Amino acid sequence: MSNHNDFEKTSPWGLFLQQLIVPALAVVTALVLGAIIMWATGNDPLVAYRGLLDGAFLKKRALSETLVATTPYIFLGLAVAFGFKCGLFNIGAEGQFYIGQLAAVWVGYNVHGLPAILHLTLALGAAIVAGAIWSGIPGYLRAKLGSHEVINTIMMNYIAIYLADYLVGLSGPMRDPASSAPQTPAVDASAQLPRLSELPALMASPVTRFTAALLVAVFAFIVVRWWWQQRGNSLRGWRNPWVVGLISAGGLGLITYVFLSSLNRIGGPFTDRADRLHLGFFLAILVAVLVWWILEKTTLGFEVRTVGASPEAAEYAGISIVRNFVLAMAISGGLAGLAGGVEVLGLERNVKSFFSAGYGFDSIAVALLANNNPLGIIPAGFLFGALRNGADLMELRAGVSKQIILVVQALVLMFIAAPVIIRKLYRIRAIREEGVQLTRGWG
Amino acid sequence: MDFALIIALMPGVLASALRFATPIAIGAYSGVLCERAAVINIAIEGMMLVAAMVGDLVMLYTGNIWLGVIGGMLASGLLAILHGVLCINFKTDQIISGTVINIFAIGITGFAYRRFLATPTLTRPIPSTLQPIHIPFLAQIPILGDVLFQNRPIVYIMLILTFVLQYVLFKTPWGLRTRAVGEHPLAADTLGIDVYKVRHINVFLGGLVAGLGGVWFSLEQVGHFDMLMTNGKGFIGLAAMIFGKWTPVGSFIAALIFGLPEAIQITMNFYFPHVPYQFLSMIPYVLTMIVLAGVVGQAIPPAADGQPYDKQ
Amino acid sequence: MTKPPALEARGITKAFPGVLANDHVDLRLAQGEIHALLGENGAGKTTLMNILYGLYQQDEGQVFIGGQEVDIHSPNEAIAHGIGMVHQHFMLIPVMTVAENIMLGVEPRTARSRWLGFIGQLDYRRVESRVRELSSQHSLEVDPTALVQTLSVGAQQRVEIMKALYRQARILILDEPTAVLTPQESEELFQIMRSLAERGTSIIFITHKLKEVFAVADRITVMRNGQVVGSTTPEQATEQQLASMMVGREVLLRLSKAPAHPKEAVLSLENLSVNDDRGQKAVREVTLRVRAGEILGIAGVQGNGQTELVEALTGLRPIALGQVRIGEKTLKETSPRQIMEQGVGHIPEDRQKRGLVLRYSVEDNLVLCTYYQRPFAKGLIIQHEAIEENARRLIEEFDIRTPSARTPAGTLSGGNQQKVIVARELSRPIKLLIAAQPTRGLDVGSIEFLHRRLIEQRDAGYAVLLVSAELDEILALSDRIAVMYKGEIIDTLPAEQATREEIGLLMAGVGGHKTSPARQPVEVN
Repeated sequence: MSNHNDFEKTSPWGLFLQQLIVPALAVVTALVLGAIIMWATGNDPLVAYRGLLDGAFLKKRALSETLVATTPYIFLGLAVAFGFKCGLFNIGAEGQFYIGQLAAVWVGYNVHGLPAILHLTLALGAAIVAGAIWSGIPGYLRAKLGSHEVINTIMMNYIAIYLADYLVGLSGPMRDPASSAPQTPAVDASAQLPRLSELPALMASPVTRFTAALLVAVFAFIVVRWWWQQRGNSLRGWRNPWVVGLISAGGLGLITYVFLSSLNRIGGPFTDRADRLHLGFFLAILVAVLVWWILEKTTLGFEVRTVGASPEAAEYAGISIVRNFVLAMAISGGLAGLAGGVEVLGLERNVKSFFSAGYGFDSIAVALLANNNPLGIIPAGFLFGALRNGADLMELRAGVSKQIILVVQALVLMFIAAPVIIRKLYRIRAIREEGVQLTRGWG
Repeated sequence: MDFALIIALMPGVLASALRFATPIAIGAYSGVLCERAAVINIAIEGMMLVAAMVGDLVMLYTGNIWLGVIGGMLASGLLAILHGVLCINFKTDQIISGTVINIFAIGITGFAYRRFLATPTLTRPIPSTLQPIHIPFLAQIPILGDVLFQNRPIVYIMLILTFVLQYVLFKTPWGLRTRAVGEHPLAADTLGIDVYKVRHINVFLGGLVAGLGGVWFSLEQVGHFDMLMTNGKGFIGLAAMIFGKWTPVGSFIAALIFGLPEAIQITMNFYFPHVPYQFLSMIPYVLTMIVLAGVVGQAIPPAADGQPYDKQ
Repeated sequence: MTKPPALEARGITKAFPGVLANDHVDLRLAQGEIHALLGENGAGKTTLMNILYGLYQQDEGQVFIGGQEVDIHSPNEAIAHGIGMVHQHFMLIPVMTVAENIMLGVEPRTARSRWLGFIGQLDYRRVESRVRELSSQHSLEVDPTALVQTLSVGAQQRVEIMKALYRQARILILDEPTAVLTPQESEELFQIMRSLAERGTSIIFITHKLKEVFAVADRITVMRNGQVVGSTTPEQATEQQLASMMVGREVLLRLSKAPAHPKEAVLSLENLSVNDDRGQKAVREVTLRVRAGEILGIAGVQGNGQTELVEALTGLRPIALGQVRIGEKTLKETSPRQIMEQGVGHIPEDRQKRGLVLRYSVEDNLVLCTYYQRPFAKGLIIQHEAIEENARRLIEEFDIRTPSARTPAGTLSGGNQQKVIVARELSRPIKLLIAAQPTRGLDVGSIEFLHRRLIEQRDAGYAVLLVSAELDEILALSDRIAVMYKGEIIDTLPAEQATREEIGLLMAGVGGHKTSPARQPVEVN
């Protein structure tokens, strides 16, 4: 009771900060423990972390590379979090990521002659569908037969790895015959998700600029109109959401057009030729907002969350557990597939054999670090992106294997999962707990 | 393929099935020990990986394989203690705790591999694997002798463990208490059984057993540590445990089934050269999913499996 | 005063966050006495017993056994001091045998394997012969080789008592032992208690049922709000006195209600059969009608198929055979939602698991079944203002005591949680209300509220199907009473003709009119 009253009294900002304390201390403590391990095995942690910092933020193009690394983490973190919200544990994000890559690249180099916007959408759509199928199988098995998704998604990971190895490998059907290395052909230019550095060239024609601006306008209209409807009658005379939507859409479209036009002349951030930051990053943020909206503001999200919070109550309330298990798992896999699609279309532009991105377990850590909050996944993904991106320079400078970053990540996850440790260590009071109990046995 | 050839190949295939079943069975036993006390352990994979690495490391620095085996088991046991503390005392979600250990294992083994094992300054003893032991007389029995009595030590230990665990679990006070704690911890508590203690000991023993499965990879099969060399066998072990209805003997049979595809993979590759090897490599994983889907309805886990217990 | 009391508690105090569960409680249990501890739910009886049994530690106060002060830190120590406890929810492991359940924690090993310690071989034979011995000594019928999950509730209770006797308990604590028994089974239990007491066992008997106290107790201690409010003997007290001591004010022991005016049948079952989780028939060819404007009570000992029946009626469990009609519509492979939309409200048996999402706010729980309908959602999009407005209205109308509509439902008291469920179900357009064990574990105030509300609904023309294991509740509320035994409705009688004894016998499977007008069984082979 007393806890509860404290919660009622705390201001929203205070609550927000309280929620940040544990994750922040978890990261710091994990880094300190990582330093101890490095020191104990004869490396200099200070040099290593300086390297990490430089590599992640300070050296040339470090920030843009960090954002590049952040992009898949946001998608994959969202994927895992969506499963969690329904009480499902998707450990197979990595496999779905591969399958998404394969689907996207296949559409990217096999389909020709489509306008860029369609081709790109088609390729990303293929990635989503492929990922959704890959996770939908374990989802279906769980929903219909009760066979546990943890084992099944892991098995699907291994199957995906062997499948990718076959398809792209030495005599695989997707291998580029023109290349000596085992890799697929590059995707057509029309299926490429533009990098920021490519934008000026792409937007050279006023027609493209206009199309882009139109897309932004339509999107802005939908969002603003909805938002205005939600706000209700707070502003007199401005009530009509259609009017407000149209005005904002026009404004934003115009700004976009002008911005894109000026890009040619003055250039923007991250538009250096070698910068690899692509539109996928912005798509990731948009998708994070979309996922948040779905979970919090729609009946679909309500159903998914209810099944996750209490399957028995959901069943009682007439919410189909089978349907939501399959749906949540498919959406989760779709997001992971999209991560793969974005990675391949925006960054790599083809799929190389023997890639092991190692995203599967990391993305669980990202989701939990953000307490499964879709918006929180953006900073959590950024942190993991920075760690991943900085790790190379750390390895180079201090001679310490970059795998130590995984150890740090595991420790972060441990402190997040068992906040008791952090609270005891730093003597912090507990705030109200919430979350989904995932482990329910195998039955 | 003619019949005589199959007969001729049989002992070899069976022996290698038994060999490949060994880490799966041992992983399953680890799972049985933990889950009979209601602690889900998906970290068996990670524990095996760490044990494989530490085993190689200890062997490298002491020159003794058996010290490597012990070192690997203890390292795995240490991780099990961590899992126990997280799950039992801190009531962390058990699957998340397992995931923590799995990530940690990938990281720390990769780190140590690069630091100490990839280009070692010391040389490994020769041979660097545990050697087969021919049991006198028994090894001469046709077929049976080839399959059962010319194996390497961990295979024997696995076979013995099967029966020891079956006995301990179902015929002894310890087993009775373990099962009570896994089914209805509150009932056990009201009879004065220390639920936490029983769980901790079982999880620790499970860790030691998983470690034995881990050193199989580095010290019995390969002779050194490779990154990610456990390749999902710990997870397949969990599936074997479910298929075996949480009993050691059942898990052993399940492990044999899961070990078979790997054993016949080489033979298959020979007879079906057009099938890409990747598809043959997928079989154990696909098989695991199919078997799990078929069996899960009838396999009833311990009633309290996965649930933390709140001591009053 | 020559013999020291078997057990004495002095000034026991125990606080939980936000509640003082025991406030300087004194209790004196004489040798060979049956001492009833009376109090309503939440009075602190179970807390006190858990302290005596070492499951909790008291903050203050002392415990004496046979005149000696003792510290009991664990059940082990309680057992060593000769205390045995039969918990309200049995502490038995269903998948194990009786012998295994009894020996757990004090396992004998065979002579030749004793040196192996904890991994010696269990000596089943020794346990079984000892159990048989105790069995005949105390005329307590227990088969040591049976699997617990195959035993009836009464037999399981005997196993629990046997567990205590096997550990040589001299003080036996029985926590609400009759909650799951038929009146006849209760009477058998009282026989066992008396015979144990005659042999010198001292018994603490926890209950909230007044009649039982008079039937068996030598002495009565009444608790309320964590305090002892008085101690007396059955000879000196009346039911009315004890009831007001329990509740702290005058209570009406009988509800007043007008005669029912039933109209058309809202729910009709024809030969309904339902399977349980193991595929066994749990409900057998039940034929029933519930009419608008009446309360049909289903009496029966727990576990006779009531749960499965309600689950089948609400779509949570498939119908194996037979027909269910709601109004004119026949249900067939119907989902819970379709049934709800037919106008069925459901107060589920397990309010914390099924009835509420404990982590969700009160306002979200209030739309748990209607979140997708207007005005709470337009298309896919949830309308928060409507949900807030709905919560404001219902919190006031049903007097739900909550700090705010955003408070998680799990933090409310049991009575208020139940009010959230009732408010939600009654705020939907329904014509049939199915209430399963609606007052289980609630305090008297909440029980009164719910009972009044059910009668109001009846008077407003709703059909009400009440399933309860509390015979008094069935008798107080129902217009007609159907008795369920082993999955069958063995009789249906008008409430005014029904007596406690008759229904008690029916609950035990004795009697029953096979050709009652309310029941026309069709024999199916």
